[in-house]
This record gives sequence, C-alpha cells and structure tokens, in this order.
Amino acid sequence: MTDAVETRSLRRTFPARAGRGGGEIVALGGVDLSIPSGSVRGLLGPNGAGKTTLCKILSTVLLPSSGTASVLGHDVRHETLAVKRSIGVVFGGDRGLYGRLTPRQNLQLWGALYDLHGRALSRRVDELLERVGLSGRARDRVDGFSRGMKQRLHLARGLISDPRVLILDEPTSGMDPVAVRDFRGLIGELTAEGRTLLLTTHDMAEAEAVCDEVTLIDNGVLLATDTPARLAARLSTLERVEADGVADDVLAGLSALSGVSKAHRETGGRVVVHTTTPAATSEVLALLVSAGVTALRTVRPSLEEVYLHVIGDRGMLVSP
Amino acid sequence: MRYLVRTSTVLRYSAANAWADFRASYTWWSWTFGWLGRMLAQVTFFAFVGIMLGDQAQLRYLVVGNAVMTCVVETMSVVASSSSEGRIGTLPLLSAAPVRLAWVFLGRSVQWPVSGSLTALVSLLALAPAFGVHWSPTQVPALVLLVPLTALSTYAVGLFLSAFVLTASGARNLLSNSAYLVMMAICGVQVPVDFWPSWVRSIASTLPLTHGLAAIRSVGDRAPVADVLGQAGLALACGVGWLVMAVLAFSLLEQHSRRRDAFDFGG
Amino acid sequence: MRLFRDAFRFQAALTLRSPDTVHVLVTAPLYTVVFMAISRHAHRTDLAAYAVLAPVLMSLWSLALLTAGDLISRERSRGTLEAMVATPASFPVVVLARITAVTTISTVSFVESWLVAWWPFGVVVRVEHPLTLLWCLVLSALAMAGTASAMSALYVLLPTARTLQNSFTYPFYLLGGILVPVSYLPEWLRPLSRLVFLSWSSDLLRSALSPAPVVDELPRLAAIAVLGAAGCAVGGLMITRILRRVRSTGTLART
Ligand SMILES: Nc1ncnc2c1ncn2[C@@H]1O[C@H](COP(=O)(O)OP(=O)(O)O)[C@@H](O)[C@H]1O
Ligand SMILES: [Mg+2]
Repeated sequence: MTDAVETRSLRRTFPARAGRGGGEIVALGGVDLSIPSGSVRGLLGPNGAGKTTLCKILSTVLLPSSGTASVLGHDVRHETLAVKRSIGVVFGGDRGLYGRLTPRQNLQLWGALYDLHGRALSRRVDELLERVGLSGRARDRVDGFSRGMKQRLHLARGLISDPRVLILDEPTSGMDPVAVRDFRGLIGELTAEGRTLLLTTHDMAEAEAVCDEVTLIDNGVLLATDTPARLAARLSTLERVEADGVADDVLAGLSALSGVSKAHRETGGRVVVHTTTPAATSEVLALLVSAGVTALRTVRPSLEEVYLHVIGDRGMLVSP
Repeated sequence: MRYLVRTSTVLRYSAANAWADFRASYTWWSWTFGWLGRMLAQVTFFAFVGIMLGDQAQLRYLVVGNAVMTCVVETMSVVASSSSEGRIGTLPLLSAAPVRLAWVFLGRSVQWPVSGSLTALVSLLALAPAFGVHWSPTQVPALVLLVPLTALSTYAVGLFLSAFVLTASGARNLLSNSAYLVMMAICGVQVPVDFWPSWVRSIASTLPLTHGLAAIRSVGDRAPVADVLGQAGLALACGVGWLVMAVLAFSLLEQHSRRRDAFDFGG
Repeated sequence: MRLFRDAFRFQAALTLRSPDTVHVLVTAPLYTVVFMAISRHAHRTDLAAYAVLAPVLMSLWSLALLTAGDLISRERSRGTLEAMVATPASFPVVVLARITAVTTISTVSFVESWLVAWWPFGVVVRVEHPLTLLWCLVLSALAMAGTASAMSALYVLLPTARTLQNSFTYPFYLLGGILVPVSYLPEWLRPLSRLVFLSWSSDLLRSALSPAPVVDELPRLAAIAVLGAAGCAVGGLMITRILRRVRSTGTLART
C-alpha cells in the first residue's frame, strides 16, 4: 500500500525580498515525508518553519523548486487535476469565505467547483451543514458568523468533495477553547472514516491531542517523526524524578551522582532531579528509596519539552 | 457534454455570488437614484455638448453613443470586483480546486453587464427621446438584443484585463477607468472611428463596443437588416475572441502564481 | 496657521501616494483626448480651450469629493476620529487643510491637459490672462476645499448620502458648466447653477484663455470666494456639530 502523501527531497526557495540583500530564502530544504493512508499526521513547528509552504505544494497551489511530492500516488507537479480531486484544503484564519453568501450558498459554489451538481450537490451540502452544526444558520449571511463558526464552515468546504486526504493548515488558529474542542471532535470523526489528515500547528497540545504521529519541522528541515508518546520517550534520557520530603544531605548526594544534570529544590520543598541516562534514573530512585523517601515519581517530558529541546538545540535530533 | 454541465453549474453558482454582492451594495432606491441617476447625468452632459455644437446630427450621434457607453462603464467594474477575490483571500483555495479560474470569474461579476444593459436601455429609450432621438416600436426589440450583446462582449474584455490586476488590486480602478475612457475615445462613441489614424482604427476594430455600437446606430438609421446582423456578428466574434484571451490569461496567471507564490490570503 | 500647514503636509504626502491621485492624473489626459476629438471633429477649434479646462475641473472636483468622502468616515471606522477630537487641534481646520492639499495637487492636471492639446492635437492653447488664470485656480481650489468639507460632514451625519456619492459628479459637471457653458442650459436651471461655484470658475477660466478682455473680473472672483466660504462655513458648522455629538455620546454611533 502506498503512502497517502509522499515527498522526496522536496525543496522550495523564494527569492529574498527586497531590502534583505541578495540570495534566497529556503522555505523547504529537501524534505522527505511519508504519511501512511488513514493516519493523522501533525506537522509541528514555529512560525516560518515552512509548514504553509509544504501545504501549498501538496495542494498544487505552489510548485516545488526541486524534488517530488505526490498525493495518493499522483505527482503534484504533473498530475495536478488528479491531486486536486483527491484532496481537501483548509487554510486557517477566517478568510477565504464569501461573507455575503449564506453557508449553504458558499458550499454550493465550492461544490460546483469540485464537479458536483444537481441532486448530489444539494445532498452533500445538507449533510455537511448538519455535520458541522450549521444547519440552523444555513440561511444567514456568513459575515455575521463567529470565528469558530466560520472555521467549521471552512472545514465543511474542505470536505465538499469527500476527499481521501485533507490538508489543514493551522485550522484552529484564533479559535476560542470551546470551538477548538468541537473542532477536535470533528477531526476525530474524520479519522474514524479512514481519511488521511495532515495538520499543521504550532500548538503542542493540539498535536498531542489529535495526531497519530507528529513531525517536527524547523527552518524547512524535518527534525523528527514519531508518535507523540514515543517522541517523548526518545528523550527518556531527559527523564526527571520528583520527590517530596528529601533531606538536604540526600539532595547533595543526588547532585553528586554522575548522569544527574541538575538537582534542585523548588519553592514548595519538592526536589526535582534531571537525569541524562536511564541508568542514572535508576540510581537516583535507588538512592531516594534507601533514604526512606516514598513520595516520588518519574516524569516523562511532554511533547512541549521535546519540542523546545529539539528546536532549541538542533544538534540533538536530526534523524527524521 | 459533461464538461458543459459542469461549467454551467460553476457559472450558475458564481453568478449567484455576483447577485449577492450586487444586492449587498445596492438597494433599488440607491441603484435608481445613485447609479442610474449618475449615468443619465453623464449622457445628458454629452448631449449638451451636442447642443453646444448646434448640429442635430452631432447631437444624435453623441446621445446614442453615450447612452450605449453607460453599459461599458458599468461592465468594466468587473476589474474591481474580480480583484476583491484577493482581498477576501479565496485565491489559493480557488487555485486548489479542479476548475478553470476563468469560469469562476466569468460568473463572478456578471451583475455588471446585466445592470449596465439596463442602464443603457433606460438611457436609449427614456432619456434619448428628450434630445430628439426617437425609436419606433419595431426598433425596440433590436435594441433590447443589441445592448446586452454589447455589454456581454465588452465584459469579456474586462475579464481579460482583470486577470492582470487580480493580485495587484491597487491598480484596479485605474485600469478599469482608463480602459473605458480609451473605448469612449476610439470606439465611435463621441466621434466616428474614421476620425482616428489607421493604427488607432485597427485597435478599435478589435473592441466589441465598436461593432455593437455600429449595429445600434444602423438600427437607428434604419439600415438594411444584413448590415445590423453583420455588425452584431463582429461584436460577438470579438467578444468570443476576448473571452478566449481571458481564459488564456487566467491560465497563465495561475501558472505564474504557482511558480511565484502570488496567491495568498492577501491583507 | 501652523496646524493648517502640518495637516496640509500630512495629507499632501498621503495623497501623492494614494492610488486615487494617480487615477485622476491618468484619467484627466484621457478626458482631454475625448473632448479634443469632439471639438476637432466638429471643426470647432474655438472649443479647444474648453476641452483643456474641463478635465482640470473634473479632477479637482472628483478628487476632492473622493477624499472628503473617505476622510471623516475612514477616521471614524479606524476609531481615530475620537482620538483626533481629543487633540487640541481645531478639527475643522485639519479637515480643511487636508482637502486643500488634495485640491492643490489636482491642479497639476492643467499642465497635463494643456500638453495633450499640444500633442497629439497640435493645438497650443494660449493663456491670454495668466494672472486671472492663476487667481481663479487658487480660489477654485480653496472653494473646492470648502465645499468638500461640507460634503465630508454630510456623509457622517447622513450615511445614506454616501451611497449617492457617485451621483455627485456628472450632475455638477453639468450645472457647473465645466465643458458646456451654463448659458446653454435651459433657462430654469441657470439660477441653480449660479449657486455652484464651479459655474463661476469655469466661466472665468475660459475667459482667462480667451483673447477678449476679461470683464467683471473682480466680482466674478468674489463670487467664487463667497460660494467657497459659504461651503466652508456650512462644513465648519456641521463638523462642529458632529464633534459635539462625539463629546456628549463618547462615540459616533452610526445613525
Ligand atoms: N512568497 C514568499 N516569498 C518569500 N518568502 C516566503 C514566501 N512564502 C514563504 N516565505 C518564507 O518561507 C519561510 C517559510 O514560510 P511558511 O511556509 O509560511 O512558514 P510557516 O507556515 O511554518 O509559518 C519563511 O521564512 C517565509 O518568510
Ligand atoms: Mg503558516
């Protein structure tokens, strides 16, 4: 079975904008990415990492400078029409809708652009309005909608052609928490239907909540790909131990262990020990237990910590 | 066949979009007093030039020419309304859809030639008689056909131009107004096309307005039906020619934008 | 005065960069071409001066109205109107200065128009009474600013008037006799057109380009000045009223 999305040495550069001197901006510097069918892949990276550029290339809006990219086996450069028919695109923000039309009219128009007409079109539009919870507002102008409602309409728009692959570029940017929760619910349903999703975000919690796998990207380079949990585990060397009721001399002993990068007492009295190897963690635990400390736990780093660590120290993890 | 059904569906829903825009910017009241009033005043302005020249034939020429011109003025709004798409931020989404951009934009601004035809017909049938330009009942049906033909074929010219300012919306009013002023000067609106040197005449002959207006003048002069049909056919042919150019221009624009990343959410 | 100068400079810089200005400066010569063609075709070389002057007045009028229409309402939609009101500067003066900057810039189209008559039409329009021309242009620009400030206030007090903005062009070109002198209009329209400062400006500008001596120059200049001042006074009054409303309600809620 081929991957739903596949890129090989995908590179995209832009001429440097005036005023920044000559040269070029490398938005994507040779990206190899494979997304298996039916999975939700998060693309996590800070602003300017190259996420939107990748989405644009996959949705045929932008040409690669070099390298290849394909969607369901169709090359984005040459089999444009086939790619367009198999993907749905949702770019974040509340722009890109016709404010003077109703949600129904918006969807009818986009449906027409995706080859639907007649009975099939109206059935599809009704279904989608129902699904994103806009049936009740189907006759109102989009102008007056809240950001969350607009974003749900965007998602419906992206689904109009019943695409197997959905590209979501920061779909929840600017949404309030309730809207985000509803939105994630919808994403869950979409995966249950076996669609492949590529979702970009700069929000760790979002990636952790909805993605099967997360790819970290920065400066146009993919840094790592794994499940949110394993990505964190790959940094298990960075585990830390937290304990209460530790005497000062024990803390001093902990600090002296090799493999302990840092041990300190927080304001509440709790001691936090950062280790750099699994062996060191065992030693720390053994020492604490022998000192009679029972209130202790080991903590895996959150995806956020991994992210900060990787982006902050690019030398650590370069293999995707 | 399937392609035709699909394209007509795209045109239909795009036109619904156009109609919604039109409804949002005009009420019946503001269209009649704001827009129609302004256009009738423009025709009247040039009619008085005819009165100043003191020649009945000149007066007639100016009244008919400027009455028909009103539909061109409005039709050229397609340039501005197409570029509004960049402001709304739909260009990258349209570009990702499996459809020719030109068909979307063809439906998108169709409110202008429709409303423009109405304005021109009111000018011809209701205002022109005040300056001694009368129509017999048998001439009216011909006008009702020829004015929309002129407006729609000119619409293709506007569509072509709009491809060039789709991503440079700052220039949109400049381009549309300059375009209609050039047409006003050279297409036989104010002075016969013969007035101009030959290179200007050859440009004029590619513009649908030149032929549509000639057909309407032929109707007024009770010229043989063949003459009228000949001119109308030329207007139609020019319109189709410009439409083909517009389709090409939009494809080129899309290709250009795929290379340069010109379609963005705008600001 | 200093406030006037600063506001003038600010708007001049803004206007020079605005697409509307470019627009007017590009369309004015095209109008000249149209008008010159009509007069040439009718073998009326005597109308060349008319063809040169009309586009100038059209630029003056349309650019001033565009700016006026935008000025107050844009400040308002940006929410800066309230801030502006809070500054010690006299707001009517600011508005007047800004519109004057626009009208001054638009007189550049006279040069363009003159050049178009010269090439391609080969007509050298002679300025027979340069001082009259100068005074008339200066006073007209000021009168235009006065009229436009009244318009800008009107747009705020009566937002529906904004939808009619389009219709404030050609009816006034007609009433103002900018191409066809008012004497060609029907008898009953003439008194009305005498209330539009443009009708005095256009007549006097044409006199300035005609070899015949200018008669009644001072009274005619005075008429422009008086009508301009009247517009200015009405505008000032209305702006003051708007400001009072802002101060008492704290905002300019749409009416
Ligand atoms: N059209 C463009 N011209 C020049 N540089 C661009 C263009 N589009 C993106 N870039 C640059 O490419 C890099 C990646 O941008 P983007 O893909 O938008 O990042 P992200 O979506 O991750 O925030 C940034 O440095 C950005 O400035
Ligand atoms: Mg982005």
